Amino acid sequence: MKPRDERADMAAGAGAAATAGAAEPIVVADAIWKSFGPVTAVRDLSFEARPGEIIGLLGPNGAGKTTAIRVLSTILPPTRGKFTLDGIPHTRPVEIRRRIGVLPESSGFPLNQTGGEFLRYHARLFGHPAGRAREVAAALLSEVGLAERASSPIATYSRGMRQRLGVARALVNDPKLIFLDEPTLGLDPAGQRQMLQLIRNLARQRGTTVILSTHFLDEVEQACPRVIILNRGRVVAQGTVAEMIRKAAAPRTGRFQVPSEMQETALTALKGARGVASAAYADGHDGSLMITLDEASLVTAQSGGAGMSGAITALMDAGVPILSFELEGSRLSDAFFSMTKED
Amino acid sequence: MGSESYDVARSRLGGSSSRPGWLVVAGQEVRDLWLGGRGPILLFAFSLLLSVITYLTAANKELNLLDQKDTVNLVMQVTLAVGVALALLLSADTLSGERERGTLEALLLTPLVPREIALGKLLAALTVWPAVVAVSVPYAWALRIGTGLFTDAVASAIVVGTLVAITFASLGVIVSIFSSTNRLSVAVSFFAFVALVVPTQLPGGLGKGWLGDAFSRVNPLTAGAHFMDKVIASNHSWSQDASWLVSPILAALIAVTVAAVLAGRLRLQGGMGR
Repeated sequence: MKPRDERADMAAGAGAAATAGAAEPIVVADAIWKSFGPVTAVRDLSFEARPGEIIGLLGPNGAGKTTAIRVLSTILPPTRGKFTLDGIPHTRPVEIRRRIGVLPESSGFPLNQTGGEFLRYHARLFGHPAGRAREVAAALLSEVGLAERASSPIATYSRGMRQRLGVARALVNDPKLIFLDEPTLGLDPAGQRQMLQLIRNLARQRGTTVILSTHFLDEVEQACPRVIILNRGRVVAQGTVAEMIRKAAAPRTGRFQVPSEMQETALTALKGARGVASAAYADGHDGSLMITLDEASLVTAQSGGAGMSGAITALMDAGVPILSFELEGSRLSDAFFSMTKED
Repeated sequence: MGSESYDVARSRLGGSSSRPGWLVVAGQEVRDLWLGGRGPILLFAFSLLLSVITYLTAANKELNLLDQKDTVNLVMQVTLAVGVALALLLSADTLSGERERGTLEALLLTPLVPREIALGKLLAALTVWPAVVAVSVPYAWALRIGTGLFTDAVASAIVVGTLVAITFASLGVIVSIFSSTNRLSVAVSFFAFVALVVPTQLPGGLGKGWLGDAFSRVNPLTAGAHFMDKVIASNHSWSQDASWLVSPILAALIAVTVAAVLAGRLRLQGGMGR
């Protein structure tokens, strides 16, 4: 898929999410805790998800993403708190499982079965009669691009094919909500791209809510209009990607390249610029300068834009040509690292 | 696939033509066992064992110190021991095997309650017992000549073996529910089997005296074997030694009940915690 198509999908996804904003939430998690003895894996997890949304569940290793998914998919009972899925309380797990699909992290497969047999079996476990199970399996294999390998043993599938088969299995009951736990782990770039496209299609064409757990931040930026960041079992932030970047208040710096003979003038101008906390030479006085944006601009600006524009205005007013500039600390990854850094 | 076709699918979920979940699990497990190759290999090995026994006892008169009834009894006792051991080991592999292969989570994510999953797997593991009996029947038929006890021999083996196989397969499932690894599950089950069989074989030990007699009556395997021995080798009527069937019957009922109760505690990671 070309980047332009991805942006269109993102826009479509954001639109769907905006439309869904008025709809009843499909998931309402209310102060969920999960402990294993003295170890608390999930603390006070609360969020809502609406139909057709793709929500990125972010966090470093051990943040509690997989445990959160296992609690929400009824594999593990919560220690405290409650949640509803499609209006069904967590105390009715069988009914919840009828409405969700899950691709577990590092899911295993019966290697001696074919992809078709595997899906037919799971379709039957969800109550499809034999004939209907065959139809569902064939349709899903086609949807995930495995129709030609339907009769091949799973042992012969690549990692990417197995992950797509896992997604197909999660769809046998036409779920309203699907949890994908690290679906691109171990995939090559082409496999990752295929998987992300599949995820976007799920939300766009089926209206399925997707909760995507990953630690690949670029995937989230590509596919998820909304994110939840977990750290040590606790939600440290949730909102849109832009909101995350803003909330993170990540240390942001700007770098300017000006003609070396004008660097002193530029430095003086930058030191007095609005929204700039400090300015200094960088990279050996060859016309390269670095600024740090002040706290006020970080809090009020969109991605540090105000501080940066103040610096640019100051340079232009001083008659210093700007050869290049870049703003650092304005990506989701910067927000993520800022929010999940060790104390 | 369009959403329209899935609306149809959703409306059909739970329809009257769909099978109960435990039956779907059992069907798949039976296919895996018998079409996947493991079952036929086990049966082939068992038939080789019976062939050797039959040859030594029927064809080689110099080696055979047993009379004909004892020979038939030996074949049926071996059938009982092997059939029960296989049912135990196959059931011990069920849930811990899924856990080890990483496929248990997908099963737990279906609308089936853990009890249905365990029941389906228990039934599939039990299919090895009738298969073992079926293999032993031609040997018993060949060895029956002059004894007139073919029917009693096979019938008593079927009754006793079915009860004991249910008991031990349930035990295997119980162990499998809590075992985090397949190796642990199979090892514990095998140890349990050996622990129930070996004491009765010790010369002058537990096999003799009131303690040995009590152990033999309480132990469903030895009690069942004793019943078969009396019916086949001693020509006793079934009613004459019916008291020896009490233990296998009670053990089967208790084991199935305990397995059904404990199956509700089936967890992704194994162990005893929640």
